[in-house]
Amino acid sequence: MSTISLLTLVLLALMVIVGGRQGWSAFWSLLLNFCCLFFAIVLVSWGLSPLWITLLAGTLILAQTIWLGVSDSFVAGRSFLSSIIVFLVLFGLIILVEHAAHVPGFGVEDTDALEGMSLAIGVSYSQVAVMVAGLCSLGAIAEAAISVAAGMATILDEQLPAKQNSLFQAGLHIGRQIIGTALNTLFFGFFGGFLALFIWFAGLGYPFLTVINDKVFVGEIIIVLVSFIGVLLAVPVTAWLISWRERS
Amino acid sequence: MKLKGYQWWLWLGVMLLVGMGLFLFTKYDAWLYSRPVAVVAKVDTTSRQRQRDQFKNTDYLVAQRLTVRLLNTKHRGRTLVVRNHYTVSQTMSLRYQRGNQVFLSQLAGKRGRLSAMVSGMKRDVVIVMLVWLVVTMLVLMMGSAGLRALASLVANTALFILAINFDLKWQGRGVLLLFSLLAGTFTVISLLLIMGPTRKMLAAFLATLAATTVAVSLSWLLITITRERGLYFESMMYVTQVQRPLFIAETILGSLGAVMDVSSDIVATLFEVKRLQPAATRHQLLGAGRQVGKQVMGPLANVLMLIFAAEMLTSSVLFLCNGNSWGYTFSMTMSLGITQSLVCGIGIILAIPLTSWLMAAMIGEGGWLNEHD
Repeated sequence: MSTISLLTLVLLALMVIVGGRQGWSAFWSLLLNFCCLFFAIVLVSWGLSPLWITLLAGTLILAQTIWLGVSDSFVAGRSFLSSIIVFLVLFGLIILVEHAAHVPGFGVEDTDALEGMSLAIGVSYSQVAVMVAGLCSLGAIAEAAISVAAGMATILDEQLPAKQNSLFQAGLHIGRQIIGTALNTLFFGFFGGFLALFIWFAGLGYPFLTVINDKVFVGEIIIVLVSFIGVLLAVPVTAWLISWRERS
Repeated sequence: MKLKGYQWWLWLGVMLLVGMGLFLFTKYDAWLYSRPVAVVAKVDTTSRQRQRDQFKNTDYLVAQRLTVRLLNTKHRGRTLVVRNHYTVSQTMSLRYQRGNQVFLSQLAGKRGRLSAMVSGMKRDVVIVMLVWLVVTMLVLMMGSAGLRALASLVANTALFILAINFDLKWQGRGVLLLFSLLAGTFTVISLLLIMGPTRKMLAAFLATLAATTVAVSLSWLLITITRERGLYFESMMYVTQVQRPLFIAETILGSLGAVMDVSSDIVATLFEVKRLQPAATRHQLLGAGRQVGKQVMGPLANVLMLIFAAEMLTSSVLFLCNGNSWGYTFSMTMSLGITQSLVCGIGIILAIPLTSWLMAAMIGEGGWLNEHD
């Protein structure tokens, strides 16, 4: 058996043992999201526009993450809506930033890995860069939106209908509680993957000013920062959406 | 704590001023660089050729003539002409536009005429402005919680850089030990800044440590049992050291944040349960912990999976366009990332029972932390 199949089976078993029915659907969301990502890649390699594929795959991935991960339909509905809004805003920001930074494709650090490959492949890599940043941020947006929506749903269940403003403030308060751990999850998730690259930079003695202008480095840091912004936007948007819908 | 009305506007004003200052500074900071920096004043496209490779991909090779004005060095203010080639896909090459600031190399003057090669974009403005935007949003929307999150990010980045320097000094020999110690330190710092020096923090720390250790050891055992079938460590990118220890170190760091997230969620909820119902039994605490865990495990596992898998997107597209099969592309570009996200998933799930058990032992009936109440 291949390593990945065995690890997948172990993960499935643990998810079902610990999470029961919800663990089962969480596993499916993971699997479906991966398939979605893989087919997005295949479609892009066939020549479809990476930007449209990002929007399509992004919506699907958000839907699967949220509807399969959350059992409460109120929480799922509201967090899905707010994640979509945040995703669209972020998508615009990413296009702007990637355009300004010019970080498509590969850098000189990748030269070894690309030996013998044809690089004139006709796929717009400036759009692929937008796709990578957009898809990386999805999980974090969904998670933050779900946490805020779930917290506000608890408040709504327990209390008499509060004023819209104080409900919004309550949402922001929940956001303040989760922001530290949410940003940490992203920070470590990304920096674990950067370890080899950073050792490379330090090992070759890249000066600081070279690093902060390097194509690969800037490309990666943009992805991290954009995901941070996604989480930061998800908090007020979810809080606002729920307090606004509750009043009307 | 949240900012009061006038304070908020004050902070907004300050941050906007700082932002403007940073923007102007980075835009006109060519004097900081020893490499020649120039601004593109005029772009002429000199030729455009259709290209077709053996995999029937069509692309265009474009030649540009850039008129640039030097912004530093002793030739500051003088203009010269440089050439650039790019493919429309921009896999490796770049298309320059008017107004871009670029680095030049091999700047030389010959009989009063300057010549040089263009060697890359100046990107500091974008990265500084993006950092500014994140900091501004953190401070204005999250108040002191935002500042603490920021402090934790800054401290962890500094530690990360320090650890990399140690790693290089030891030439990668102690990479696993070094980054395991680093992971422990990261956990302490992050949890201290989020929770403060409390019993909650101690519980979350122990649980994170236990879950990460168990998940990584268990996964490594499984990887060894299956003899790494389907994994290609030689496909790791940017590797300058022995691959396997580096891979494990990456995985430990990658899962740390998410495991901490689950543990601190459960710890916070169980302390709340205990406060509301001081007589809560161990059994009740275990059940409540599992309830919290169930809700967060799906979204969190997806966060990491998307990060690990989307990072591979750039090279996967290239592999597919170079006539490779889906299976080969998966093995060479994605298998390691997927393995890492599976290990992280296992860590997240294991953190749920481990944290709940630990908490039940600590604050359940007769628990050893109860005396301090």
